[in-house]
Amino acid sequence: MREVTFLEAIRLAMWEEMERDPNVFIIGEDIGRMGGAFGVTEGFLARFGPNRVIDAPISETAIIAVCVGAAAVGKRGIAEMQFIDFISYAFDQVVNVAATYLYRSGGKTPMPIVIRGPSGGYVGGSLYHSQQYEAWFFHVPGLKVVQPAFPDDAYGLMKAAIRDNNPVLFFEHKYLYRRIKGPIPDAHEDYIVRLGEARIRRYGNDITVITYGAMVHFALEAAQRLEREGISLEVIDLRTIKPLDMDTILESVRKTSRVLIVHEAPKTGGVGAEIAARIVEQAFEWLDAPIMRVAAKDSFVPFAEPLEKFVLPSVDDIVAAARELAAY
Amino acid sequence: MSTVSPLVRNGQHVTAHHERLTKQDLLEIYRRLWFARLFDEALYDAKKKGRLRRGNVYSSRGQEAIMVGTTYPLREDDFVSPIHRDMPVFVFRGMRLEEVMCQVWGKAEAPTRGKDSWSHMGDISKGIIHSTSMLGSTIAVACGVLWAQRMDGRHDRVLVAYTGEGATATGPFHEGLNFAAVHKLPLIVVVENNQYAYSTPVELEVPTETVAERALGYGIPGYSIDGNDVLEVYDAMCDALEHARAGKGPVLIECVTYRLLGHADHDETRARQYRPVAEIEMWEKRDPIPRFRTYLLSTGLFTEEELPNPPTDIAEQIQRAIEYAINAPDPEPHTALEDIYDEHAGVSRCVK
Ligand SMILES: Cc1ncc(C[n+]2csc(CCOP(=O)(O)OP(=O)(O)O)c2C)c(N)n1
Ligand SMILES: [Mg+2]
Repeated sequence: MREVTFLEAIRLAMWEEMERDPNVFIIGEDIGRMGGAFGVTEGFLARFGPNRVIDAPISETAIIAVCVGAAAVGKRGIAEMQFIDFISYAFDQVVNVAATYLYRSGGKTPMPIVIRGPSGGYVGGSLYHSQQYEAWFFHVPGLKVVQPAFPDDAYGLMKAAIRDNNPVLFFEHKYLYRRIKGPIPDAHEDYIVRLGEARIRRYGNDITVITYGAMVHFALEAAQRLEREGISLEVIDLRTIKPLDMDTILESVRKTSRVLIVHEAPKTGGVGAEIAARIVEQAFEWLDAPIMRVAAKDSFVPFAEPLEKFVLPSVDDIVAAARELAAY
Repeated sequence: MSTVSPLVRNGQHVTAHHERLTKQDLLEIYRRLWFARLFDEALYDAKKKGRLRRGNVYSSRGQEAIMVGTTYPLREDDFVSPIHRDMPVFVFRGMRLEEVMCQVWGKAEAPTRGKDSWSHMGDISKGIIHSTSMLGSTIAVACGVLWAQRMDGRHDRVLVAYTGEGATATGPFHEGLNFAAVHKLPLIVVVENNQYAYSTPVELEVPTETVAERALGYGIPGYSIDGNDVLEVYDAMCDALEHARAGKGPVLIECVTYRLLGHADHDETRARQYRPVAEIEMWEKRDPIPRFRTYLLSTGLFTEEELPNPPTDIAEQIQRAIEYAINAPDPEPHTALEDIYDEHAGVSRCVK
């Protein structure tokens, strides 16, 4: 076991996969000489050389397109978006080119690509350095979407994403990078967290909280607070947002009969809507209360502190919603 | 105007428009250079001292001559679209210093009401077109602003869009400039080539010897000039303005300069690792302000006392605006949900 930060876990996973498989390469802005804006790829250029560590021009479209082309002929690219917000420039490459490739090649040409980058708010990053875009990609067939909350998951999921034969969007919450520490397995253990499997981070009986990313930590804090009031939360960390692990969700719902979905992205059209719909479709008779959602207000993430706080969900919001559900 | 070859290297063939500048003009240019420098220093200082707690400070230290030289010859009804290293341009184009500082501090009376940060602001009534973080994006947006002028029969209003050399690698930069060239829109793209995009040196962003050569692909004039010589910038800008106002289409001006500090205030340590210190020191010697001052003294038109170094009143004015912003009220939380939609049906508001 190694005790590492969330950031270091991601770094090590990529490093070890690059050691293992010479087809893996990384590409992005300032990732080589500088080691990345957040330092996730520090040391990679010196170790793996310029053919596998590409300092790209400010060209998000090309960065992802290079991964697409290379994947078509057998390589496995990891594209860094300096901030995940900038993926909007490359939207076409992700949704029209990468996502469809296998389909339109008659199943012959897989697309092993990882698109990763810092996402999320709570750091005063303002409109274009704070967003959680998972819902955009959640909607698109052919893509997988991942967002870990703990170092061990970040580590195991990154390895799985690199080995996966499909385009995987890997959201790294920048708030967690250096704040969260935890143990990860040693390199020789070849530890993998399979995509599509949720993990129960806290067991409870009264309410199922379904969440991912930084919100897992908020939910765990809320659970601790509510324990004193005799309300017991079961916290499911989805880890992989697409494909959704409905088995884990449904099993928990059948136990608690109350559901609270928490995400940081705006509520309207968010991932929570799909989860709620599926629970209603598949476990309606088990529910004792309406499914509730805590999410960002339908706004951009604003700059000024009082505004950002107002828009983004808080631990208090989760506590309040859970109390309401418990009283139902 | 002088015949402009499609590609102007090293400032050759630029007409010496600056010869018509009066002593008053030269003094004002000198003061503006200092304004830009002191603005930058004051914000860096505020950040370091913890008086500015949110947001990055992107320094324009060393690049002042570009902002001053490109805005000085503009007409009041021209447009500009500044980006992250162009904060002083907002003031040169008529925004109040207090407003700008309120934007930096995310206050309620900022142009964005605290919604967005730093240079992501504008004021259409002053011809200042808003940008986002998405680099290169404004070059394409500029085409729409200029097309609207064409629709209104105002062909000679020019838009000056600023960009770093790194951002010339983006799609919207290319699409925008291509569109403007196809339709001969009066767009002047000022490329602030400060040699680095964050840590990435220009040769990994731009394959040609100069950024100006990109202009060849659009069939428009491309200038590569000394961006640390305020009068050369002024001259090239005057050439470009004549070209654009005459309906001949866009011009690209590459101003060769250097980012003396880090990418932003958080980058100071690393910026001295990914760049050779000797290179930084070499460019410090080409500082545009002492250079212009030496020139002014050499003309014999100025005494030492007429060129204070720096002019103290400017620093005081900047400090007053900072105090104003710090004491200004924060936005009310609920205003976060205002301005997402405009409910004024069918009324165009705030048109310049
Ligand atoms: C589309 C996009 N990609 C990446 C970034 C992150 N970023 C912000 S500034 C910057 C470097 C810009 O370099 P350049 O255009 O040369 O301008 P400079 O900062 O040197 O003035 C980068 C990569 C961004 N803002 N937008
Ligand atoms: Mg630059």
